[in-house]
Amino acid sequence: MNFAPRYLGRGSWLARRDPRVLVIAVVCFVLAAIQVWDLRIMLILDLIAFAYYRTARIPFRQVRRQWMLAILFVSLLVFANGIIASGRIQRLPEGVEPHIYGYIPLLGTPVSAESLTFALVQFLRFLSLIAVGFPIAFAIAPDVFGVTFARLGVPYRFAYAIDLTWRFIPSLAEDFRSTIDAQRVRGMDFTGQSRNPVARVRRQIPVLVPTIVNAIAGAEDTIDAMDLRGFGTGERTWFQDLVLDRTDKLVLIGFGSLLVVATIGGLVTSSSVLWVPDAILPR
Amino acid sequence: MAEPVVRIEGLTYRYRRASEPAIRDIDLTVEAGEVLLVAGPSGCGKSTLIRAINGLIPHAYPGELSGSVRVNGRLTTELRLRDLAAIIGTVLQDPAKQIVGATVEAELAFGPENLGMDRTEIRRRISDVAERAGIRNLLGRETAALSGGERQLLAVGGILMLEPRLYVVDEPLANLDPASAARLLGILRTLADEGHAIVIVEHRVEEALDLRPDRVLYLEEGRTRYLGSVSGFLEIADPDAVKLPFDAVLARFRSDPSLVGTIPAAPGHHAGAAPPGTLAAPGADPAESPRLEFSGVRAGFGDREVLHGIDARLGRREIVAVLGPNGSGKTTLFRTAMRLLKLTGGEIRVDGEPITNRTVAQLASTFGYVFQSPSQMLFARTVREELTFGPRNLGRDPGTFGAIVTDALERTSLDVVEDILDRPPLTLSFGQQKRLALAIALSLEPPTLILDEPSAGQDHRTARRFMREVMAIPGLESIYLVTHDVDLALTHADRILLFREGRVVADGPPLEVVEDTDRWIACNLRPTSLIRANARWSGLNGAFLDAETLAARVATGTAAAP
Amino acid sequence: MTSMSMPRSMWTVDSRTIVYAAIGAALYGVLVGLFKIPVPGTTAVDARPAFALVPFFGFAFGPVVGLFTGLVGNMIGDQISGWGALTSYNWSIANGVVGLLAGLAPAYLGSMMSGSLGRRAAAGAVGGAIAVVIGFLVVFSDMIKDQMDFNAVLTTEYIPVVIGDLIVTIILVPVLVYAWEPVKERLGR
Repeated sequence: MNFAPRYLGRGSWLARRDPRVLVIAVVCFVLAAIQVWDLRIMLILDLIAFAYYRTARIPFRQVRRQWMLAILFVSLLVFANGIIASGRIQRLPEGVEPHIYGYIPLLGTPVSAESLTFALVQFLRFLSLIAVGFPIAFAIAPDVFGVTFARLGVPYRFAYAIDLTWRFIPSLAEDFRSTIDAQRVRGMDFTGQSRNPVARVRRQIPVLVPTIVNAIAGAEDTIDAMDLRGFGTGERTWFQDLVLDRTDKLVLIGFGSLLVVATIGGLVTSSSVLWVPDAILPR
Repeated sequence: MAEPVVRIEGLTYRYRRASEPAIRDIDLTVEAGEVLLVAGPSGCGKSTLIRAINGLIPHAYPGELSGSVRVNGRLTTELRLRDLAAIIGTVLQDPAKQIVGATVEAELAFGPENLGMDRTEIRRRISDVAERAGIRNLLGRETAALSGGERQLLAVGGILMLEPRLYVVDEPLANLDPASAARLLGILRTLADEGHAIVIVEHRVEEALDLRPDRVLYLEEGRTRYLGSVSGFLEIADPDAVKLPFDAVLARFRSDPSLVGTIPAAPGHHAGAAPPGTLAAPGADPAESPRLEFSGVRAGFGDREVLHGIDARLGRREIVAVLGPNGSGKTTLFRTAMRLLKLTGGEIRVDGEPITNRTVAQLASTFGYVFQSPSQMLFARTVREELTFGPRNLGRDPGTFGAIVTDALERTSLDVVEDILDRPPLTLSFGQQKRLALAIALSLEPPTLILDEPSAGQDHRTARRFMREVMAIPGLESIYLVTHDVDLALTHADRILLFREGRVVADGPPLEVVEDTDRWIACNLRPTSLIRANARWSGLNGAFLDAETLAARVATGTAAAP
Repeated sequence: MTSMSMPRSMWTVDSRTIVYAAIGAALYGVLVGLFKIPVPGTTAVDARPAFALVPFFGFAFGPVVGLFTGLVGNMIGDQISGWGALTSYNWSIANGVVGLLAGLAPAYLGSMMSGSLGRRAAAGAVGGAIAVVIGFLVVFSDMIKDQMDFNAVLTTEYIPVVIGDLIVTIILVPVLVYAWEPVKERLGR
């Protein structure tokens, strides 16, 4: 188990950007993408997202597992929504009736060109959001999270808490593993199955309680260490200087424009309305 | 004369929830350029005194304070922590807890950032401190990846950044190998020579003396027992309460022959006072397969191999100490034997059978594995529930639980604690929790105990008492210790496996293993005064004796000097 | 004699608050993805034992710590799993609101808080449960964000997550309160 946030994008073009750019880019992109329901535009957004993702140079081998899980989860979510909405489709152009291919046996949910397109857009949107979001964890140096958020306007105590969270993750993960080992040598079996969720939650008590209580009790020294170095007693500086260079500004302008265009486009064009390719309409 | 850096007058302090004061009537001054050693057993009030000096008392710990603490002539009650931070730097006991930065630079910058220091000044100081603390090579590293020694130096570096007048250092030597310890003491000595004041709290007096303290404050039960020169302190200090150099112990025994009678039953079984039991009869039947046999064992974490081909046999009836500096692979060895880590090469056999034939749980009924930190495993609402957890997991007959619990508590002397069965485990004292961890291991009725760093978190006296209790547990066949505490290993084990960087570099009885001093130092282990003394008087009985036993024999002439 | 006592408001933000918040978020972020227990009768959502951290940290250390634990912890969990910290930002907000509401519980469950340890443990369960039921209403924002269907959000998201997290909260929060309170008494502050 290795939970240490890994700086996999170290040295890449994206990692050389001012880290605020990575955060603002994601925010702009998310807000832009959720307004788009036109499949063609969504494909363009995916292209932008993956091009951006590539600039972080994150070795695929190291994050394969994360991608697999994310894609699996997106598929489930989109599928479940499609089933349960049972044919009611949002964002249909006015006056258009779904072109139905047939019905799912037993459930009776209609499957139409529109419902499939809707699901596809949802799926592609999630993929693009994941691609754009990935670099935050892997292409920001571990010691600049705090200053990044502080310079984005987060009060410095909370910005520092984000720094501290990253600092704690590897050691708490290590303590957690140690507790698992300590309980295994007491004969605790982690493989046993039981259908009853209550019993299964209770079975986690021997690992959760020591991990959590120890982490809190161990915090006392850290609190002292912070108090003794004057944390939270007045004005604070950050030793890292964040400066937006020309490229950073261009990237920000790019993502900002994306948001503006998506918003205006949603109002004056049909970009926020479902678009169904003619080719898949049943004849 | 200038105002002292610290002036304490008539200080008494009681924590909010406590019924008794933790320290009483303390008077103390610390001058610029002075090194003060504060010594005393656990619970003597050392930590409280530190907090009173650095301002955590009263600013972070509510309670009742009388008397006064002045720093640079001003009362700490009237200064803010922000102001105190620039005058007093405190290095806490556990550097892993003190370090808040994710990278070395972030940790160094933390204090100055909080005080709102200018960015260019912070950068200048980082470069300066990296040089002074000898951690330039660590710049750019993530703190999670540092070794224990590196962390301790970084923690000191974080304090150096604030350029305080006074340094308060709490037990810095607990987890340091000799090389790192020497560097740390060197930094502190230089600071003192430059005119800073140093207060070092340490019960490892022998090692702290390398710092050449000017004075010693010895606390007992919250009161000043002694305040004065080092030589005067060595004459009165209790060798049971703090760890003294052997010569000081010997001098005490020579000057006060009545001490000889006070030696507790010998800690090891060598000295002839061993408890009756199988442990008392070392020496294995050669035909018998060993309890634990490693052949060409390789193991590690992920891509990082820690054990590079270990061959060793640990007998059914012996006490073996696996000794080596932190990170040399000692703990990994036994975790692999318990199948907690994957074997990547070679083979491990238990009682002649490959471990792969057994589950972790089955191995636990052969080896009672006691982890370093007891609180890491305590979860139950009562001690009784805690003790039956293992037997229940292994499917033992619930009808026998009562007997198992009583037996485990008796063997660890926990049965004398009032209402022990119904106490919540986490409300027990640290020493009691340590013994409970032992009782938990014993509840599976294993013939062999594995103890990981048994002295961790304890002072000299309690660590030795704990080891005496372990050695006296009836019904055990063997004990395997993992430790970096040289004297503890040498005085308790029949045999030492010396570890260095994932390899066994020596295997033999204590006296034999310490003979090769170069090898010892190459393993980054400390040649203690006790080793030299044992070597000098080794003619006695071929065993490695603890300081008091040896001193008593030398003083009474039962040990013939060479 | 100087006697010091420092009243600490529920909204104080000092080193203690920041360290607890960071520990809560780090633990939640690390542990939440590790074990998931399927709840029979529901499809997509599992009982996540680590979720108990959110109401517990809120209940034991106040609304600020609870909010941070839920919000940042969930983002980190999402980021570690590859989902992306902001992909489902509204779910992180929902988790934060649960922590925040659990942190307010001691204020409105006054009578339960003054009783025995057992009563306080029960208060933790009650306060946590209320926080779960109300806090996760935030996930209905998926109807706007992802154009999800109301019934889909209700049946595949809200109800399963609330059931799973209620089980976890009611079982584990009292256990944690029981284990933590005696330790707190020994810390000297």
